[in-house]
Amino acid sequence: MEFIDAYVIPGAILFAQMLSILLPLLIAIAYLTFFERKVIGAIQLRKGPSLVGPFGLFQPFADVLKLMSKETIIPSGANKIIFILAPIITFILSLVSWAVIPFDEGIVLANINVGVLYLLAISSLNVYGVIISGWASNSKYAFLGALRSTAQMISYEISIGLVIISVLLCVGSMNLTEIVEAQKTVWFIIPMLPMFLIFFISALAETNRAPFDLPEGESELVAGYFVEYSSIGFAFFFIGEYANMILMSAMTSILFLGGWLPPLNIFPFKWIPNLLWFVIKVSLVLFVFLWVRATFPRYRYDQLMRLGWKVFLPLSMLWVVITASIKIMFFD
Amino acid sequence: MAITINHYLIVAAILFTLGIFGIFLNRKNVIIILMSIELMLLAVNINFIAFSTQFGDLVGQVFALLVLTVAAAEAAVGLAILVVFFRNRGSISVDDINLMKG
Amino acid sequence: MAILPLVFYILAIVTITSAVMVVTSRNPVYAVLFLILTFFNAAGLFLLMNAEFLAMILLIIYIGAVAVLFLFVVMMLNINLVVLRQGFTSYLPIGGMIVLALLAEIIMVIGLGGTELKVTAAATSPISYQITNAEAIGRVIYTDYVLAFHTAGIVLLVSMIGAIVLALRQRTDVKRQSINKQNIRLPEEVVELVKVTRGRGV
Repeated sequence: MEFIDAYVIPGAILFAQMLSILLPLLIAIAYLTFFERKVIGAIQLRKGPSLVGPFGLFQPFADVLKLMSKETIIPSGANKIIFILAPIITFILSLVSWAVIPFDEGIVLANINVGVLYLLAISSLNVYGVIISGWASNSKYAFLGALRSTAQMISYEISIGLVIISVLLCVGSMNLTEIVEAQKTVWFIIPMLPMFLIFFISALAETNRAPFDLPEGESELVAGYFVEYSSIGFAFFFIGEYANMILMSAMTSILFLGGWLPPLNIFPFKWIPNLLWFVIKVSLVLFVFLWVRATFPRYRYDQLMRLGWKVFLPLSMLWVVITASIKIMFFD
Repeated sequence: MAITINHYLIVAAILFTLGIFGIFLNRKNVIIILMSIELMLLAVNINFIAFSTQFGDLVGQVFALLVLTVAAAEAAVGLAILVVFFRNRGSISVDDINLMKG
Repeated sequence: MAILPLVFYILAIVTITSAVMVVTSRNPVYAVLFLILTFFNAAGLFLLMNAEFLAMILLIIYIGAVAVLFLFVVMMLNINLVVLRQGFTSYLPIGGMIVLALLAEIIMVIGLGGTELKVTAAATSPISYQITNAEAIGRVIYTDYVLAFHTAGIVLLVSMIGAIVLALRQRTDVKRQSINKQNIRLPEEVVELVKVTRGRGV
């Protein structure tokens, strides 16, 4: 009886909490693929998918059915264990980081004191899904795409880290709930607008999205590091990439746009529940992700690396110094 | 059975001796030697933090942070030397590094 | 059965097993992947010891940067393994005996849980449990240990410059784009307008 009280009931509650985060997330990922095609279609003056179901709303289910019913092909020269492990790693890592994201005041699965460092660590680990999938495929295109993608991801992680440091200087704690609560007076996008832009662009590069998707662009490198994957493996990479996109949007809205806080604490805004504010902000940032994809041409690889090392890194370092100096001069 | 500091120290000791064993076994493969050195540094880090928690003294964690920094720097320089050597000589066997032998 | 010892034993056993696989793997890529697993479980052990900041820093620096470096080098070097595995089995018995003796001596010093480790001096930088681990380390590292901190920064700077200088290759056969040169170019230097008479050419 004690055993059940001590372990089974808290375990079941924990499991229910995890499901309540993961199930809406997976449905959101499925519909994000649908909305991407709709938004890009609208920007290009055409309708996106509109045949399957009313307004095309059942399209994601059709996509999932198609992917699951395809044959899984493993290339003969590929390293079987690592080949199968790579998409599993990508998928797991993209879901694991959602444990520390706060959705409302006090609604967070794990309220740890080093939440921001945990997010940075998980995004550093994303590199491995890419590099071992490229190596295990035993294919030149895959390997080249994987090496380029890895180098791009680790270069832009540095400027993401420095931008996060300058936000942490303003807050004083690495707990994500406290970062949101420190924005009760003014959202951080207003005093730190350049850092918001650098963070957003680095998030685009980190998730391998346009205009930084040279390593996986279909016309450049035959889809890069996941060229040899089919059906379930491809589905896992796809889900992992979109989950990463949603995670980066959530991080942007927590660090700069005030998380679950309404813009002004006056009467019409207070009627909308906090969770809905969070969803609205994440959707807004995701819309800009999709908008950018339809609008800009691709960066060439050397231009991309030059941007990460020679432009973003000095700028974000400079801003850390400026933030620290202003904080010491005026606020202490 | 409660977990005392002795458990952590024994884990660190086993990792350290495994690092030494790795250097014994792979005498010719420079990359495995570098990885065994990283294992030994990890064992030392576990030791420092175990003692820091036992005696409530932060200096263990500070020193572990500095050991981490130095290990990363040393891995970077060691691998750069390895890459340059491989470019010039075409092999990474330790026996072939004998150009200055009298 | 309590959770904490179970978690400790799982982490410790996986750490030691993957460390064994690191030193005995045939394929160097497998060895690096097992090294990553070792670091991951060691970060878990750090978390059990209440050193949360250092656990996350271990993940970010060791797994996120150093192991990626190892993986790049291993994947790009063409390693001839047959030659390199010579001597593996001939050194195994002697090496094993020496290592076992070393391990037995260390365990004798540590003791297996019977004796207490006594320390007579007071802690130099006592841990305060009212503030977070990161803040506690921050308070100490910038005041009492600032020289060590700066030296670590200089060590990193020197190693970064050293690694770049060693591995840099100036390639003369590749044409590079220099954006600054393109921006300061004036149209008068590049374009010349010529009046062409019909039938004559330039």
